[in-house]
Amino acid sequence: MKKISYILILLLVASSCTEFYEEDLSSLITSESGALTSETGLTAALAGSYKPYGWAFNMGFSNGSTMTVLSGSDDITTHHGSNKEAQREFDRFKVSNVSKHSDRIWRGCYKATQGANNILANYENATGNPEVINQIAGEAYFLRAYSYFWIVRLWGEAPLVLNSHIYDEELLTINSSPEADIYAQIVADLKMAESLMANKKVKPGRACKGTASAVLAEVYLTMAGWPINDASYYAKAAAKAKEVIDNKDTYGFDLVPNFADLWTSPTYNADNNKEEVFALNFAGRDGRNANAIVGKCARPGEMNGWDDFFCELTFFNEFPAGTRKDVTYLTSWPRGDGVIISWQQSATAHPYYKKFFGNEWSQISAISLPLERFAETYMVYAEAQVMATGNTSDPEALEAFNKIKRRGEGVPLNTPNAAVDATSITQHDIITEKGWEFAGEFCRWFDLVRLQMVQEVVDKKDPDDLQPIGPVVYYLPIPFSETSVNTNL
Amino acid sequence: MNRLPVCIAKLLFKNNNLILKLFKVMEIFFNLWMLLHPTLKKLIMELKIVFFLIVVSVSNVLAIPAYSQVAKVSLDMENKSLEQVMDEIEKQSEFYFILNQKQIDVNRIVSIQDDNKLITDILPELFKGTNVNYVVLDRQILLTTDPLENNLLAIASGTDAQQKQITGTVTDNNGTPLPGVNVVVTGTTVGAITDINGKYSIEVPQGSKSLTFSFIGMEPQEVSIGTMTQIDVTMTESAIGLGEVVVIGYGTARKIDLTGSITAVKQDEYRNQPVNRVDQILQGRSAGVNIMNSSGAPGGTSIIRIRGANSITGNNDPLFVIDGLVGADFRDVNPSNIETIQVLKDASSTAIYGSRGANGVVLITTKSGVSGKPKFSFTSRFITSKVAKLSNIMDAGNFAQTVNDRADALGYAPRFTDAQVEDFIKNGGTDWQNEVVRTGNGQEHQLDYSGGTENVTYFISGNYFDQDGILINSYYNKYSIRSNIDAKISDKLKATLKASFTRRTNNNTSGNYNIYGPLSQSTIWSPTTPAYDEFGVLTVRDPICSINANPIELALNDAISENNAFNASGGFVYQIIEGLTLDLGFGASHSSTQRKNFRLNAQEKQSSASRASTEQIFLQSTNILTYTKTFNDIHKLSLTGGVEYQIQQRDYFSVDATALKFPELKYDNLTLCSTTIANASNTKSTIGSYVGRISYSLMDRYLVTGSVRNDRSSKFRGDNQKSTFPAIGLGWRISKEAFLRDIDFLDNLKLRASWGQTGSQAIDVYGTVSTYNTDAGNAGVAFENGLLTSGINLGNPGNTALKWETTTQSNVGFDIAVLKNRISLEADYFVKNTRDLLLLEPLPRYVGGGNIYKNIGEVMNSGFEFSLRGLILDNSNFSWDVGLNVSLVKENKVVSIGSREFITVKQGAGGGIVSFAETILMPGYSLFSYYGYKCLGIWQVNEATEAALYGNVPGDYKYEDLNGDYGITGADLQIIGSGIPTKIIGFNSTMSYKGFTLNTFFQSMLGFDKWNFVYAQSMTAMDAREYTNADIMTRWSPEHPDRMVAAFSPTRRPQIQSSLFVESGNFLRLKNISLQYNLPNNILKWADASIQISGQNIWTLTKYKGLDPEASSNVGDSDSRGPDAGAYPNSKSWTFGINLTF
Repeated sequence: MKKISYILILLLVASSCTEFYEEDLSSLITSESGALTSETGLTAALAGSYKPYGWAFNMGFSNGSTMTVLSGSDDITTHHGSNKEAQREFDRFKVSNVSKHSDRIWRGCYKATQGANNILANYENATGNPEVINQIAGEAYFLRAYSYFWIVRLWGEAPLVLNSHIYDEELLTINSSPEADIYAQIVADLKMAESLMANKKVKPGRACKGTASAVLAEVYLTMAGWPINDASYYAKAAAKAKEVIDNKDTYGFDLVPNFADLWTSPTYNADNNKEEVFALNFAGRDGRNANAIVGKCARPGEMNGWDDFFCELTFFNEFPAGTRKDVTYLTSWPRGDGVIISWQQSATAHPYYKKFFGNEWSQISAISLPLERFAETYMVYAEAQVMATGNTSDPEALEAFNKIKRRGEGVPLNTPNAAVDATSITQHDIITEKGWEFAGEFCRWFDLVRLQMVQEVVDKKDPDDLQPIGPVVYYLPIPFSETSVNTNL
Repeated sequence: MNRLPVCIAKLLFKNNNLILKLFKVMEIFFNLWMLLHPTLKKLIMELKIVFFLIVVSVSNVLAIPAYSQVAKVSLDMENKSLEQVMDEIEKQSEFYFILNQKQIDVNRIVSIQDDNKLITDILPELFKGTNVNYVVLDRQILLTTDPLENNLLAIASGTDAQQKQITGTVTDNNGTPLPGVNVVVTGTTVGAITDINGKYSIEVPQGSKSLTFSFIGMEPQEVSIGTMTQIDVTMTESAIGLGEVVVIGYGTARKIDLTGSITAVKQDEYRNQPVNRVDQILQGRSAGVNIMNSSGAPGGTSIIRIRGANSITGNNDPLFVIDGLVGADFRDVNPSNIETIQVLKDASSTAIYGSRGANGVVLITTKSGVSGKPKFSFTSRFITSKVAKLSNIMDAGNFAQTVNDRADALGYAPRFTDAQVEDFIKNGGTDWQNEVVRTGNGQEHQLDYSGGTENVTYFISGNYFDQDGILINSYYNKYSIRSNIDAKISDKLKATLKASFTRRTNNNTSGNYNIYGPLSQSTIWSPTTPAYDEFGVLTVRDPICSINANPIELALNDAISENNAFNASGGFVYQIIEGLTLDLGFGASHSSTQRKNFRLNAQEKQSSASRASTEQIFLQSTNILTYTKTFNDIHKLSLTGGVEYQIQQRDYFSVDATALKFPELKYDNLTLCSTTIANASNTKSTIGSYVGRISYSLMDRYLVTGSVRNDRSSKFRGDNQKSTFPAIGLGWRISKEAFLRDIDFLDNLKLRASWGQTGSQAIDVYGTVSTYNTDAGNAGVAFENGLLTSGINLGNPGNTALKWETTTQSNVGFDIAVLKNRISLEADYFVKNTRDLLLLEPLPRYVGGGNIYKNIGEVMNSGFEFSLRGLILDNSNFSWDVGLNVSLVKENKVVSIGSREFITVKQGAGGGIVSFAETILMPGYSLFSYYGYKCLGIWQVNEATEAALYGNVPGDYKYEDLNGDYGITGADLQIIGSGIPTKIIGFNSTMSYKGFTLNTFFQSMLGFDKWNFVYAQSMTAMDAREYTNADIMTRWSPEHPDRMVAAFSPTRRPQIQSSLFVESGNFLRLKNISLQYNLPNNILKWADASIQISGQNIWTLTKYKGLDPEASSNVGDSDSRGPDAGAYPNSKSWTFGINLTF
């Protein structure tokens, strides 16, 4: 019996060995382990915060969805048939709240914001080189501001969340913030970004002080128009744009003399050119870190492209002939059997954006995607200056405008040229010129909305282009993924 | 003592040289080779003997009720020989005498006068004053002069010169000798009893025609004697044998004592069928178990659910316990090595497995050897299979014409000239589906041998299996070896070691392809595009239709998995005192899997390859004390208690290489490329448990079982680590009650009821921790073109308050057996409620997206199960046995998901062509209901005005606009179907005629929907830029307003996510038909031989348009089963096999 009791005791003694039940976290980085308390952690977190801008076909700007969400404007449309049902609804102003295209932009912007919020909550207590840490913090402010700048322009009122790095149940019931509050936050963040960052970019794909200032000028200009409609921002925009232009060498920005040299092609590499104020860079060979807006997405079906986006007819027809138009568009191309056809003879009967053909016949590549180009700062300045002064012949505004026009016509950009130069410019002239300069470049739609010109261009639509269903709508519906969880939005 | 294995394991895990250490531990166990524990079979045998002896030794005067208590005899015999009296008794009754004529003087003259008396009254009178002892066993009356207790087994008839001696061995189905079997010359009192080795020897009088073999719990058998001098007999268990012992968690029990719902699948039910995986055994043969071959590929995946899915987040697979190894991989056991397989369904059976018992438990025990001379069994099978059905895709001519019709309708230039169309009509084009399918051949060979001495027995088995799939470049092969050894170290100590090694290689058999897989793409590549160019090079792009890769290229990509699994389990059983045993068990498993993937990606000229290595180590220590005792003959008590510890470690690393410079080197050279990305992870989880059970039965009538388990898991924190899972079961064998005893045809009637709780850990490791994403996809970025920088960003937030999911299950049921157990029915009704459901609640994007685990949900399952078995015909030449299993799901629904109205779950089957999560969890509806738009038909001409409000024209599809906003948006999404079958029926029939056995097995699943993404792809022009399905030719037109396919128009918007593509999945399928012929013994003198031919899935009745209603594309992690986006179909196959046993 003794033996039995002994065995029983042995068997049933509780294991007091709590260590046995502790979860082994040795292969993880966790919030609890203080991931962001050092320069190394912050550096990694910064990379992870940029990431959401460029995860093709998942989130961010590096795929055709960026074109799609802006296709209410007159410079972008898509196939009448094929597999483009989901794209067409944007051009026709009847967007579903379950669209994967708008979701990618929304998601990329908010995920980047979350990363930025995390850095901003931690950088002040982190150890390391203060210059490096400040640069990182500045970029985090920039990313948050830039994300909200896209959000507020595409969706208007939206959730403004500055602490999304901490899970908080209460965030699931918040209301959207008015546009004015979002703009105020954008301005505040960009000012912080300016104060913390170095003048020049650390790497081609990262932001610098000049980036923040150039975007701030654009933000001010936007605030002068719809929906904020505060004309006093024209002066602020002009001043900020001028500051950037005057200090272009400090920031490492400049205009590229030859318009064609802005675009990477099989024969020319335009990566990291001086005109890139803010450009996404890519690893390319890894599909998760690639630029998918160039290549197949932009090419016609006859060339085995996807026909995802191309140019509307009225816009193309009004686009003055010349160097810039030749560089921007592909108007004839070989069919499968080698016969060259004109765009009118093609399946879609539309011209395509040669700018986005890229350097190889693939759906992904590793060439940079400029989201902000220095030329825009000149145009922002020209418009803001004319509007702030009321002087359509303001010499500095004219010179800024004419530099871009000259280059577009293939003449030296810094040399006054009476045959090309405008001598008086209205806001409308500037917007039109800007449309041609930035055709297909994430600019036209925002200008049309800000100046409430959408109906004007819709009225001019060619009958062969997609027509609206119902009235023009400026904002996209907040995605169902959000409204289904938070009914207050 | 109990902590020793744990501490060994802890030591190991701190050491990098883990494997080496592990093998050292295994070596130690190997050195303990001789010390092993009694195999199950032996236990069963012993129990039978014990039962027999108990019966016999109760008293010299009979105490067995039943026949002897009922049958009455009247005798009026004066001066007759004893023999005459015995004859008279036999004539009047069913009694027969067994005696040794050397001992009993049958010529003794007796006189007896009894009127209508019980045999128990007659016998004392008859043998009064003699040295004859007697015992009545049912209808047998044994006469002997030996003391009964000692010599029962030796009772045999004496020799007689004029008699012929017949010897032989009686075994059960598995070849295990059966001691104590009565062997009687039919119609006489001459008999014998088999010895401990199942052997008997009997002297039969000249002219005897046949022998009758009978044994408690077995079907009696009659065998013709003819000229034979050796008659070996295999006895089969009767449907409900008194002695049938089933394995339950941490022990065994007699089937009649069970209070829970346990299904045992018998070997007879699948023995003649070419099953090579455990799931094939269970499919359709066990009520309440739902198995779908979601991938029809050889070695493909199956979805196994016992009584429905409880967990939304967690794995709903049942817990497999193989030779005591808890959580084993069922693919590591070869079906022909299985001795017993039991499915534990209700809580009173599964609660002993506590936190992992909620999904039901499948207990598998592998065979043990039998002492005696070695026995060999060799089986070879040859298999050939073909695809059962293909999609209805247009030929090149119709396709080209349709493409042009569409261009015409949409106002752009025709893609084909009239001459090209003519040419395609005349000469045809490419049949892509036929390009990717083939006839798949295979073979399987197996050799078993077993034997042993009285103290050590062995069972060794080797198996080789190799099968090509019906899709090109898909195959599965496996080789495995098993060695089971049992040793009796002393009368009190036994030891066991069961070890197996399996290597499996699969290529492209996971089969749950999404729309980018070869089968789906083969339906949307233009029939007008040639497969190869004039140089024989595979076409890279389809200029007309699909934007994706060539289906042949896709099929030729590799997804190889090479798995090596070593499993060992065993231990020592020590009998401390009578009735009290200590079972010290161990288990160890080492599994390493290497995955090799290759994608050519010719369109992008960017081939990629990857390797991933996963090593899993599992250690288990189980120590159980069992005490069994019977008090006063009527109180049977069994107590079980013990502790168990488990450690699971998983170590993973992978390398992905993109843009291979030499694609032909595939995964064998990952350096010649432009980018490599490496990943690594290491996880560990532990569980410590106490288990306890008490079983009590009173007079074999009133049964009660209570069990409890306490688990502590490393996956949770603080107090949430521990939880207790109780259960209780009650049983009442009504048939034992006096008021039913007289009903002759009723053999058994038992009522059962049980209640209990089980759990599910549901989450993977780290569920309570907020972690960062560190992989290149989520967090990597390039700050300079071409250079990837690694980064981190926030992953899913952790929830420190997580705890177990708890499932409360109630079960009521009854078992009934009638007509000598020829017809039996088991019926159950259950209700399962799972609360504190771990839900992965999706978070809105604006807080960073992702999901958070919460214990917020509740799911309910309820249903009926019936299992009916009948021996319809049974005579010496012809027998017919049928079995019917029916599972009816009454309810499978989400009860609550916390504060949210619904949660949507993306499945991924539809790839990039779906824009919203395909499934939804909504209270009141079944799990993972399909979510989409409801198609109301076609806008007709008289509805033009209303259609215009939606931007549509007559001829377009019309969808239900729930909120009436003239837009089809997220607000209009609704539930459009469910992938969970509500009725599952299995029907098994076995007919035997002489040496022939014909087995047919039907399965039917009803009441579920398939979401046919393959059909959707070919009818929507998404990634397919044109329509390919032949159905598109019958489009709507004003002249044909009743057609259901929309006309071509620029505003036609066929929604992939709509009821248009949801179809009924109901099917009835002949899963197996097989014919076996056992060659007569005189053909092969040295062996028993049988040949067999069988067909699988050769007939299916279904309206489903896809290739196979069973196959599904479960590419997500959840329990959704309906989507079919080109899943690997089950094939029609024929198998030819031979078996030799000697």
